Amino acid sequence: MATHSDTHHEEFHYHAPGLQHQFEDMKQQEESVSIGMWAFLVQEIMFFGGLFTAYLVFRSRFPLAFAEASNHLNAFWGGLNTLVLIVSSLTMALAVFYAQKGNRNMQVIMIVLTMIFGTAFLGVKAIEYTDKYNTGLIPVTGWNKKVKESDVQHAGEPAKGSEGAFVLPLIETKAEASAAADDHEKPYINPNGEFQWNSGRHVFDYAIEKEKSGKAYLTAAERVGYFSNGEFDPNKYRDKIRIFYFIYFVMTGLHALHMVVGLGLMSWLLWAAFRGSFSGEYFAPVEMSGLYWHFVDIVWIFLFPLLYLLGRHFLAGGAH
Amino acid sequence: MQNVDAINSGIPAIPKDNYLTNGFSLKSWLLTKDHKRIAIMYLITISMFFMAGGLYASAIRLELLTPETDLLTSATYNKVFTQHGILMIFFFLIPSIPAVLGNFLLPIMIGAKDLALPRINLLSLYIYWIGGALTVFALLQGGVDTGWTFYTPYSTTFSNSYVMAVGLGIFINGFSSILTGLNFIVTVHTMRAPGMTWFRLPLFVWAQYATSLVMILGTPVIAITVLLLAIERTVGVGIFDPAIGGDPILFQHLFWFYSHPAVYIMILPGMGVISELISNFSRKKIFGYEFIAFSSIAIAVFGFLVWGHHMFVSGQSIYAGMVFSFLTMVVAVPSAIKMFNWTATLYKGSISYDTPMLYAIGFMGLFLIGGLTGLFLGAIGLTVHLTDTYFVVAHFHYVMVGGQVIAYLGGIHYWWPKMTGRMYSEFWGKISAMLVFIGFNLTFFPQFIVGYQGMPRRYASYPAEFQVLNIFSTAGASVLGVGLVMPVIYLGASLINGKPAGDNPWMLPGLEWRTSSPPPTENFEKTPVVTWEAYEFGEESGLDLDGARRRDQVSTVV
Amino acid sequence: MSDKHMETGEGHIGYPGYIGVFTILVVGTIFTYFSSFWDLDSIFPGANTLLALAIAFTKMTFVMLFFMHVYWSPRLIWLSAVASFFWLAIMFAYTMQDYFTRGLGVFSV
Ligand SMILES: [Cu+2]
Repeated sequence: MATHSDTHHEEFHYHAPGLQHQFEDMKQQEESVSIGMWAFLVQEIMFFGGLFTAYLVFRSRFPLAFAEASNHLNAFWGGLNTLVLIVSSLTMALAVFYAQKGNRNMQVIMIVLTMIFGTAFLGVKAIEYTDKYNTGLIPVTGWNKKVKESDVQHAGEPAKGSEGAFVLPLIETKAEASAAADDHEKPYINPNGEFQWNSGRHVFDYAIEKEKSGKAYLTAAERVGYFSNGEFDPNKYRDKIRIFYFIYFVMTGLHALHMVVGLGLMSWLLWAAFRGSFSGEYFAPVEMSGLYWHFVDIVWIFLFPLLYLLGRHFLAGGAH
Repeated sequence: MQNVDAINSGIPAIPKDNYLTNGFSLKSWLLTKDHKRIAIMYLITISMFFMAGGLYASAIRLELLTPETDLLTSATYNKVFTQHGILMIFFFLIPSIPAVLGNFLLPIMIGAKDLALPRINLLSLYIYWIGGALTVFALLQGGVDTGWTFYTPYSTTFSNSYVMAVGLGIFINGFSSILTGLNFIVTVHTMRAPGMTWFRLPLFVWAQYATSLVMILGTPVIAITVLLLAIERTVGVGIFDPAIGGDPILFQHLFWFYSHPAVYIMILPGMGVISELISNFSRKKIFGYEFIAFSSIAIAVFGFLVWGHHMFVSGQSIYAGMVFSFLTMVVAVPSAIKMFNWTATLYKGSISYDTPMLYAIGFMGLFLIGGLTGLFLGAIGLTVHLTDTYFVVAHFHYVMVGGQVIAYLGGIHYWWPKMTGRMYSEFWGKISAMLVFIGFNLTFFPQFIVGYQGMPRRYASYPAEFQVLNIFSTAGASVLGVGLVMPVIYLGASLINGKPAGDNPWMLPGLEWRTSSPPPTENFEKTPVVTWEAYEFGEESGLDLDGARRRDQVSTVV
Repeated sequence: MSDKHMETGEGHIGYPGYIGVFTILVVGTIFTYFSSFWDLDSIFPGANTLLALAIAFTKMTFVMLFFMHVYWSPRLIWLSAVASFFWLAIMFAYTMQDYFTRGLGVFSV
């Protein structure tokens, strides 16, 4: 019976390209696809929401260690990546714009540009990850660069073994420069590839300074979490910094994974657009991929300040 | 749409062209986009998971026949109850009504040719299969012993069982549930037939819609939580590890943010089925349609505000506990509204006690007990005594089995003639419905008592004083088991020698009864135009139901 | 669905509009980068956080309204966007009410 009615359908009605059998017309299909995509984005928001909740909980429990750790991320690269993503969002929006206009060439160009900027984002991310690898900031034991004591020639000079590796200049502020020079900074020796924290406790010191003026700066969790027997315990402090880096890697990692999926989507879109599959009447796939791409952009718009920027003023303000 | 005369003619025959005869090859099933075929494949898979979970349940009940640890070792027992929980919750209860009955009926009930996104629907089935296969594989390898809740830090640090693989299976399976929910939401919004306004939707559809909301908003959170757990277990560091300042209670927050609403994924569809059954088998327009519809939505929304009632004794702040306790009392209100409306519908209805109706009446009693004992557990003071006792076990089985499983069985019986075109044996149906009801109560009511007396859950042994009630419980489980196996037999037999059901065997006005049984691939020959309200038993429905009923009686006598 | 929908051809802000939104996003990014170095704790503690989040929300709003065409979309799309943030807020608020009230008052350990 289905085949019977189907053939009649084909014969007597104009069958728009891309219209699927369960829909009456293009409008119904577009509405369905669009609502479906938004429902998918809602679930994506909740998916990342679990991570943001974890971030919120630990940031509010250990704000100092988080600021300490966050200050060590390279905000310049983070900011650059934000700009890269914003450009890619613009080109994506324009790809939809041109698809709507039925302009195939501009559409293809915009999709290619989007892919280039998306790849650039992942490239910068890779540079950042490499830097974390080189400096012992990957929270997983054994996943960092392994440097034996004998590999290091002199303290204070660049290690020989790292010639080939790309190390970012991490010093951005005066305070960090002075911190790098003072005795908190140790040469990178890491025979087992463990998580290390060699960059001192400047934010903590800043807070202790403030506490002296009568303000309660440390949270209840911090009063327990940073001290052993009433003494500051650098290992416990490092553990909290490690939690930050764990969250950092999970959040940016999942975000990067979404970028990879997005790029896959773009490749398919490029192929389809190149063949001229889309027209002013039928461009829903471009539009839906665009929604996904912008969503991934929005996630980063929040990740950037939360992971890279919050707590930066602790260093900028204080000359101590 | 079948014309009215054909429906009322009283000469049932199975139409030649229906969704079952549209291709017989394996490919025509595995690559189908037909929601009905997908539903049937779900039905078969889910039934297998239900049986597997049931086997674990019987192992538990046999072990608990005696106070000593004799049949199973403690370690095995831990795995057995964990696997029972995981299979039953993630692979049976959550997909049961939405993926089988919802998939089959939701498009038909709103007069659509299919779900809005049929390929996504097929994808959700495949994801379910992959997640299920992975889980079963892990269970065969040795299983998990963490309890279905995977509480940290035991699951991340100490358990030596296959937490990762099972976690991954549940993670994958979650997306099947998300996609089903997504599909339903889109379908209800865009695929309704002309004239099928929101307030003409059957309440089953409203319930599915509310369930879908919970699926979309909650399931991703459990996905990310299980993912975090898996990462933490693999790499040996994470946010749930108290040794480095992580917080195991955060796991419970994230877990229950989904898993309390998941309770509503498991009961809302059941409530939807019951609304259908109560109204249709009382042959009376449902009382307070809008109240039942909106109470489904209210449950979906308020269900997200109460998760902390699972954490009263876990180290959560007492103040948070008080808030959660209060909200738990509030969320009982919409469920109560439904109960009152169903009761009011029965009042002065012309009730026919067919098998589905027996299940529906059983549901009302069991859900009432399950719901009210939930209030005991939601009360922050009393719960300290009851937490982790058999009282909790009895409570959630009254809701999950007494609620969802009973509703599922009722729904399967009710729509069986529509799904297969054949009538099952009403005699055996009634017997089995009664065995399920008696067996269920005999199994779980004693557990309220032993729980209240302090018998803790999740132990293979128990003090000898609890043995008598445990023997009752195991005996009841045997009766329940027989009651649950019987439908497999007589429903299976009906496929071969069942009487052709005809398009409308129950003489009902719903849209699903206005197409042939089994329905054609595109559900209706012409897109139906709806001119009647939901549960309209009078002339307005366009069906001469009274006349048809008289003729039906004549034809059965002849 | 809304009569302002895509197919009427006015479902976007046109080329100059896109560039305008893009400029706002870039300015927002640069501003949030530099403002994060100012010590605003003297105004009130957490002012830096508030500012950074306010900028992020603004940027998000522009992306959603214009790049994602929510501005021209039917009510249901608006609703789903708002609802997802509402549910996030539920998750944040009800989790944090636990962490913020642990060990307070008569229950302090
Ligand atoms: Cu609950």
